[in-house]
Amino acid sequence: MRTLIQALSLLLFSTLFVFATYKLPNWLPADIYLRLDPLLGINAVFAAREVIGRVLWALITIGATLAIGRFFCAYICPMGVSVDFLDFLFFRKKKRLSLKAEESLRKVKYLLLIIFVTAALTGLSLVFLMDPMSLLTRFYTFFIYPLAITVINLILDLLRPLFRGLGWIALSHLSYPQPVYYMSAITFLIFGGIFVLNLLAPRFWCRYLCPLGALLSLIAPLGFFKRRVNEDCNECLRCQKACPMGAVAENSKETRLRECIQCRTCAKVCPQNAITFPMSLSYSLGGEYSSVNFSRRGFLYSLAGGLAVGFLGTQTPFTLRQSKHQLIRPPGAIPETEFLRTCIRCGECMKSCLTNTLQPCLWESGFSGLWTPKMDLRLAPCDQNCNVCGKVCPTQAIRSLSLEEKTHAKVGTAVLRKEMCLVWVQNKICLICDEICPYNAIVFRPVEGYRRPVVIASKCNGCGYCEQRCPVKGESAIVVVPNGEIRLKEGSFVEEAKKLQLDFKPDPGDDKFILEEEGFKVEDKKGEKENILPEGKPQPKKPKGFL
Amino acid sequence: MGECNRRITRRQFLKTAAAGVAIGFVGRPSFLEAKEDYDLVAISGEPVAATRKALEAMGGISRFVKKGQRVVLKPNMSFSRTPDFSATTHPLVVATVAQACIEAGAQQVLILDHTLQRPEPCLERTGIRDACKDIPGVHVFALQERKFFREIKVPQGKVLERVEVMKEILDSQVLINIPVAKSHSATGVSLGMKGLMGMIWDRESFHSQYNINQAIADLGTVIKPQLTLLDATRALASGGPGGPGEVKKPNLIIAGTDPVAVDSYGVSVVPWYGQNFKGRQVEHLLAAHQRGLGKIDLDQLKILKEKA
Repeated sequence: MRTLIQALSLLLFSTLFVFATYKLPNWLPADIYLRLDPLLGINAVFAAREVIGRVLWALITIGATLAIGRFFCAYICPMGVSVDFLDFLFFRKKKRLSLKAEESLRKVKYLLLIIFVTAALTGLSLVFLMDPMSLLTRFYTFFIYPLAITVINLILDLLRPLFRGLGWIALSHLSYPQPVYYMSAITFLIFGGIFVLNLLAPRFWCRYLCPLGALLSLIAPLGFFKRRVNEDCNECLRCQKACPMGAVAENSKETRLRECIQCRTCAKVCPQNAITFPMSLSYSLGGEYSSVNFSRRGFLYSLAGGLAVGFLGTQTPFTLRQSKHQLIRPPGAIPETEFLRTCIRCGECMKSCLTNTLQPCLWESGFSGLWTPKMDLRLAPCDQNCNVCGKVCPTQAIRSLSLEEKTHAKVGTAVLRKEMCLVWVQNKICLICDEICPYNAIVFRPVEGYRRPVVIASKCNGCGYCEQRCPVKGESAIVVVPNGEIRLKEGSFVEEAKKLQLDFKPDPGDDKFILEEEGFKVEDKKGEKENILPEGKPQPKKPKGFL
Repeated sequence: MGECNRRITRRQFLKTAAAGVAIGFVGRPSFLEAKEDYDLVAISGEPVAATRKALEAMGGISRFVKKGQRVVLKPNMSFSRTPDFSATTHPLVVATVAQACIEAGAQQVLILDHTLQRPEPCLERTGIRDACKDIPGVHVFALQERKFFREIKVPQGKVLERVEVMKEILDSQVLINIPVAKSHSATGVSLGMKGLMGMIWDRESFHSQYNINQAIADLGTVIKPQLTLLDATRALASGGPGGPGEVKKPNLIIAGTDPVAVDSYGVSVVPWYGQNFKGRQVEHLLAAHQRGLGKIDLDQLKILKEKA
């Protein structure tokens, strides 16, 4: 029963993850697991110092935990499922080392919780490091998803001859674009580490480290369902050994209520059938085994630790020089300070990104910007028909915008680096940036006898098609810089753009100016220099490609 | 240009498509008998009717498509633009040709392109996938991976020695090119010949490495569509190839077996960037003509002009 619910939960998590693509219907909250996570909610609300609508979903989890207990960890948490499943696969028969410092290790998760919450209070979003939802979504995005696509494509390639033979046309041409991410390896190592810790104890992560578990365990003993052992118990201690959380006390009749995740493994293994989980309305915090007993010293240390990390993480040159470095944030990202505070680094935006342009930051904006999304426009542009990154953002660090609004959420401005541009420096024939620009923000102006590309800043919303397509090797000769980006916490991007006299409407542009008498002063163009044309009039007023 | 943005919803599209195809069935008039002696036909009218009539006037689709053959249609669906931008082939034109191929007994019809933008939104927004989805035997997809291409030699190539072409095109019996009429910032116009670049793997090198005009002519020596049907129902007269730009409405379907002749006529139907040009003035067309790929001077062509 429990395994079934767990499997369903992981399936739901994975399905929602798969659905997080640019086609995501508006009604489907693909980020629901992240929204339900109260720790992420607390972190974002504390760090951003305001209530975030989507975060209120976490109240459901809080309420359910208050009513039932810490069931979330046993039945819902996809991280718990993953750990359990991998444990079953690999470590089932392994003999585990025994842990001596059990009691003191249990405290660790509370200390971590204090550190994270304190850091959040100082304005540093840090919980992403260890929050299970964020961690797992990130692991899925940066590792499982690319791997899955590779495997699927491999299988498709292997079966292709078969599909062809069967005349399955669509399948025989199916191939998925391979997503790639920076930091896949780091993410994998972190998750791998969490999993390997299981060698020490089952659910090592959940027992000792998980800060979400710590948070839930604080309120868990208030739940109505509690483990009860009746007189039939012969103290064989099997339940104690079997409990994945180590929640059965030395005296097997007693329960560490905070640790108990109500998986009922104990009831299953009990030879006497002495264990039940009846509903009881009696209010108790569970007595001696259920106190959160870390010392005052420990509390103060972790408080100080949180403050110190918060200070170190936020007080860096990066913070002071915000928007002075070359980071292009996704369209609709709220102002940088708030963005860093609100973003929980789940990676959902990067997973859903249609073009794969969204990539995790490593150190580009310091410690406080780890794993935050940036646009790597040399890798891929931002598609004008896609607005999914905001749709799936559980804390709305990237605002969910309509396509019209998103088009006006300017992320930066293209700058032409003349010293690298083939046309400016080498008088070569190249119009790729102009050709690909969806807003006609690039025009050709006659300079020194040639038409040369120029960016009209007021028409450029930074989508990056030009940067990505530029045929110059290595760094592009036309790059999008954050200059002119519009970052609004609230209000309309369309109106803001209007105020700033920006215009991203697709319109014909002024290509035709070249042909107007006064506008076209260029003598000749390279394309027209070759006079293969027998009866061609030697007149210059022609666009490219015409003789 | 704002008002022509999104004038047609997808639903309207489908309805019109269905209606149009139906009309095509019912009202198939007894045309003048096969006019194989025309170099090309230029039929004016609504997309479906004009396409139907153009095919008839070319001697009927059965002249090109025989029972049991595998057919590749190559429209331009390279940009994720709705049809009103005129950056992509009109979905009804594509659907009408596909339907005709199936009626002629084609075993399968593949509608292919190697899109410039991400394939999903391209197939979706151009309306081509939707317009064709109810025609059995017709498949619309983009081929974006190198494994779907095969290298061939270009024996008569001046700048190209080898080129990787879609396997499906190399392996199919019939290739029908269905380009849209549009301007192009590098080649002047993008019609049928330029559309060949949507069938190869590496077109970047055409822009950066080779003389693009000669390279297109080279391509024309190895990829030879049996029929080119130019969708000039709309023409993107500036701002091409991706648009946005000035959209004109010649309401024409131009069809022929000579790819250069079709393009050459296509050049003449609207002023490009505000100027009138002849086919001979388009560098890549002239190059193709000089390679012997087709006729370029309109006064030497026998053209059937009719209304649908």
